[in-house]
Amino acid sequence: MSNDPVSLASSSVDEPPSLIELTHLSHFYGKFQALKDVSLSVQPGAIGLIGQNGAGKSTLLKILLGLMVPTSGTGTILGRNLLRQQGELRGRIGFMPEAESLIPGMRGVDLVGLAGELSGMPRRQALRRAHEVLSYLELDEVRYRRCDDYSVGMKQRLKLAAALVHDPDLLLLDEPTAGLDPQGRDAMLRLLHAIASRHGKSLILSTHLLGDIDRVCKQVIIMDRGTVLGCGRIGDLRQHWQGRYRIRWREPELRADNPDDGQSFLAILRRACPVVTATQRDSEALIEVPEGWNNQRLFEMAIQSGVVLSDIVPEEEDLPRLYHRLIGTGEVN
Amino acid sequence: MSSQEPSAGLQLDHAGYRTWVGEPRSSWWSCLSIVRVGLMLIFRRWIFWILIGLGLLNFLFHFAFIYLKATLAVQNENIARFLDRYKVTGTGDAYAEFMFAQATICALLLAFAASTLIGGDYRQGGMIFYLSRRIGRWHYIVGKLLTVGAVVTIVTTIPALILFIEYGTLSNSFQYFLDHPRILTGILGYGAILAIVQSLLIFAIAAWVPRTVPLVMTWLGLFVLLKGLADAMRAIDGNRYWLLLGLWDDMHRLGRFCFGSLDEKKIPSAEYCLAVLSAVCVISLVLIVQRVRAVEVVS
Repeated sequence: MSNDPVSLASSSVDEPPSLIELTHLSHFYGKFQALKDVSLSVQPGAIGLIGQNGAGKSTLLKILLGLMVPTSGTGTILGRNLLRQQGELRGRIGFMPEAESLIPGMRGVDLVGLAGELSGMPRRQALRRAHEVLSYLELDEVRYRRCDDYSVGMKQRLKLAAALVHDPDLLLLDEPTAGLDPQGRDAMLRLLHAIASRHGKSLILSTHLLGDIDRVCKQVIIMDRGTVLGCGRIGDLRQHWQGRYRIRWREPELRADNPDDGQSFLAILRRACPVVTATQRDSEALIEVPEGWNNQRLFEMAIQSGVVLSDIVPEEEDLPRLYHRLIGTGEVN
Repeated sequence: MSSQEPSAGLQLDHAGYRTWVGEPRSSWWSCLSIVRVGLMLIFRRWIFWILIGLGLLNFLFHFAFIYLKATLAVQNENIARFLDRYKVTGTGDAYAEFMFAQATICALLLAFAASTLIGGDYRQGGMIFYLSRRIGRWHYIVGKLLTVGAVVTIVTTIPALILFIEYGTLSNSFQYFLDHPRILTGILGYGAILAIVQSLLIFAIAAWVPRTVPLVMTWLGLFVLLKGLADAMRAIDGNRYWLLLGLWDDMHRLGRFCFGSLDEKKIPSAEYCLAVLSAVCVISLVLIVQRVRAVEVVS
């Protein structure tokens, strides 16, 4: 497997300075190499971090958080040196761990206030901001309740409040939607999207749920077995398939009694195009047209077989396909 | 809408989210926050007040006794002299015994409170809460040690100091303070020994045995069983150095040494006790560091 990531985050002069810039970062646990010569550059914004178990995500997060010094390599986060300014960095980073990380017996507002103090805020300001952040995250009504009595969704938001209280520039979120019901998950993703888009916070969302990344993130880091396989804007990483279309058709109502029309249209398509894949839905197919193809022919074939074309959409790679293409499993296909 | 509040270091943006632009304090300040929260967790629970109340009763008994003695001394000196024979208070021995009793109550309190203070951090993710902030592992360790040390000081040293001040203030002159400087060093010394040894020991035990019942059994077993073992071994071969195994007695002997009331000819001497307790402290610290380092903040 190549160690060169598919990186499309170019360093053009128009772009803002990189949020994270890593150069030849490696880390060993004894003889096991968890990170292999990782080099990447991401711009400020919402960034997804995907990878299977053992891909090196946790090790990368620990290094970004300043909890671990890499065996070799260097880098900068928020313009600060990863190796020399760890303490300062952690003051500007908010981390929301996946594991339950609350202190039983403490009230929500006290806990968030303590998080602020531990991040270097004076007590009065920490407490004041704890109230504000809890209101912002719609926990104001339960702020004086003991955190052991919170529901799973509330606990997740409380953890987010504790990560946000010192107003960090970068949020590291480890599986923020874990254990949430669909409604809670939706609310959390909307919140994260708002934090990233409205308040100019950068966030790194580490998750196994590609849908979460698709909804919140504009950039992605795809890791596998300690290497970065892809890094950059999702739109740029997506493969734009030349000549691939998803087409949909319908039979006119007058001729709906003849179900063979759709099948014959498919047969005509197969004769004309090298690759035609019928999807699981009726009256839909993925086609790959030969070079020099004119889409006018599709309409001619439709008229010939008596169907009406309703959609011709150029096919684009979605995030699951992109992910599986890069890690080389091809599971989606 | 935009409003600037430079004094508070907060700034409201258009969507109701405030930014904070203050200068962060040194991480060592966080140790005090850890202490405050730890004390709050203990003093908020009524169950701990049973033991704190016991200590308070003992303190109030001594406090009232000193007051009574001072009042009677004004009326009839013979009664005061008669009360002095019981050495309830006023002498180094009396303070050492008072602190020993308070320390016993404190050990019981710690046996139960350590599960909340330290064990809970390992069982319920509190460690991750602390370590995912700006502070490092040493700030956490120091903060927790100071918390236990504060509990020990509140229950043992501060009451003893109050009694010392009360006794001196209610005596005929302030000569008492000048005549008994060793009592003050004794109180502070014994208090420091209790705070350091107990905080390191209970932290190490609670970090490795975080659940309440095993923790209580281990903590009390450490004192009761080791003392029993020490007595048994001494009875078998007559060697008094076996007594060093009893950590509780070692602390008491060192405390008496601080008060200047330890019989220096008796084996084991204060140096041996100090060596044993130092070794115990170092081992405890190694165990604590090992356990804290093993915690994975990112799972």
